[in-house]
Amino acid sequence: MISTSDSEVIMSVKDIKIYFELEHYHHKGIRDVFVSAMTHPFEFLLKQKELFYVIDGISFDITKGMRLGILGTNGSGKTTLCRSLAGMMLPQMGSITSHKEVRAIFDTGTGVVPELTGRENAYLLARLFFPAMKDIRPIVEEAIEFSELGHFIDIPFNQYSKGMQSRLLLPLVSSVPSDILILDEVFDAADIFFQNKFAGRMKKFIASSSATIFVSHSIDQIRQVCNHLIVLHKGKIHFQGDVEEGYQEYLKLNPSNETLDRSPFGPGT
Amino acid sequence: MTFGQYWTQISELTLASVKARYRRTFAGFLWVLLNPILQFGVQSLVFKQFLKLNPPNYYLFLLGGLLPWIFITSTLGMGTPVFVQNSHLLRSFKINPMIILCSQILDNFINFLASVFLILTPIYIFSDQSLINLLGIPLAIIPLLVTTASFTVILATLNVFYRDINFVIGFIMNLLFFLTPVFYPRDYVPEHLRWIIDVNPFLYIIEPFRWLFLSPSWSEFMMWFAKGLGVSFGFLLLAVYVWKRRRNDFYFRL
Repeated sequence: MISTSDSEVIMSVKDIKIYFELEHYHHKGIRDVFVSAMTHPFEFLLKQKELFYVIDGISFDITKGMRLGILGTNGSGKTTLCRSLAGMMLPQMGSITSHKEVRAIFDTGTGVVPELTGRENAYLLARLFFPAMKDIRPIVEEAIEFSELGHFIDIPFNQYSKGMQSRLLLPLVSSVPSDILILDEVFDAADIFFQNKFAGRMKKFIASSSATIFVSHSIDQIRQVCNHLIVLHKGKIHFQGDVEEGYQEYLKLNPSNETLDRSPFGPGT
Repeated sequence: MTFGQYWTQISELTLASVKARYRRTFAGFLWVLLNPILQFGVQSLVFKQFLKLNPPNYYLFLLGGLLPWIFITSTLGMGTPVFVQNSHLLRSFKINPMIILCSQILDNFINFLASVFLILTPIYIFSDQSLINLLGIPLAIIPLLVTTASFTVILATLNVFYRDINFVIGFIMNLLFFLTPVFYPRDYVPEHLRWIIDVNPFLYIIEPFRWLFLSPSWSEFMMWFAKGLGVSFGFLLLAVYVWKRRRNDFYFRL
């Protein structure tokens, strides 16, 4: 295990909070709003807005060479945290400081203009991902080669299966090293052969990136990639540190954790 | 990212979506020109021949108002649902949402320029008016483009939160067509009702453009142009404000 404690901090997250007003999600018709405004006018005007904290005070540092895994139950704030690290969302409180380039992928099943062919989408996506690059042709053609899509590359992207889509997108996003790379549950669609083939490329890619943040529900993938783990629970950091230790903590979050071993498909699934 | 990099991304995205749109069509880009030509044909028939509206140079007058109006309505119509339609893409990658919206606006702007240079300008050249006015086109386009783009940013952002906007925008624009001096001149409106026309921001961005084709005094053009710039600056500020304020909730609601 590589020690990350004394390396250079490349991103610093300080006590960030992200919330939204719960109000908007209760589906009320305009008539209900009107009725409640008329019957309880003071309450209606003065009522404190109910806030839901998706991220509720999180602080940590990302150092050079860190390969951070994030584990957490559904709805624990993993994706929101990653979006704010990527700069897509700005936390309402706290701060994220970083001068590094962040690349983030949250899904591999999306074409930019799905009506166009896989090849055309690959070129577009490369342009969006690597704006500074003058000639994107070599990296796109290399990624297409790696994808083994063959003749499928020239049919419309929206006719691809999920797995084929990720075969095209994964090699593409991993063709140029980035300072900080965020991968949020992106490995699940491809078949086992491609996952294995891709694992080798991924290792090289992660080694040449300064830091990687990796979200997955598969502890095996996290074990392979990560040297540091954060367990998120209800918008807070439940555990931070060693991968194996963190995994044990994560299992304790499930009130009936025997079910994990006694799944109907047998142990280990 | 530098401005040049943004521009490359926007223009390539525009090119791609144009390609995707026309790939399975028969006449492709021709439809973009046929739409204003047909609208112009029907409206000049109805308003000039049936209703006997007769301001000087009515054909140029109508085209000068109709082409910007088509640009405004088609940009708003296609731009408003852009974020919602592309929600999957926006949630999947770190892409600046403005790039997608700007490419939609650019798409419509190119159509507008095509209709100006392929329909309006030839008609103007065959009329007996001074060609020097054509030099004002780049100037008159500034308030038109800035205001329309800003308004589209505002509506597209709010549409993420209130999906009603996309339903409502179509018929609002249908109503506004009659309340904007597109096919009739502003002086036809009785003095005491003219405020209805004057509070309409679209008046101030269409009028400078149209004046060019009616060979006005340049001072009159400059007056409309200044008003147009004022309106567009106001909308630009509002658009920046709405976007900055809403951008955080954006991903939760997409």
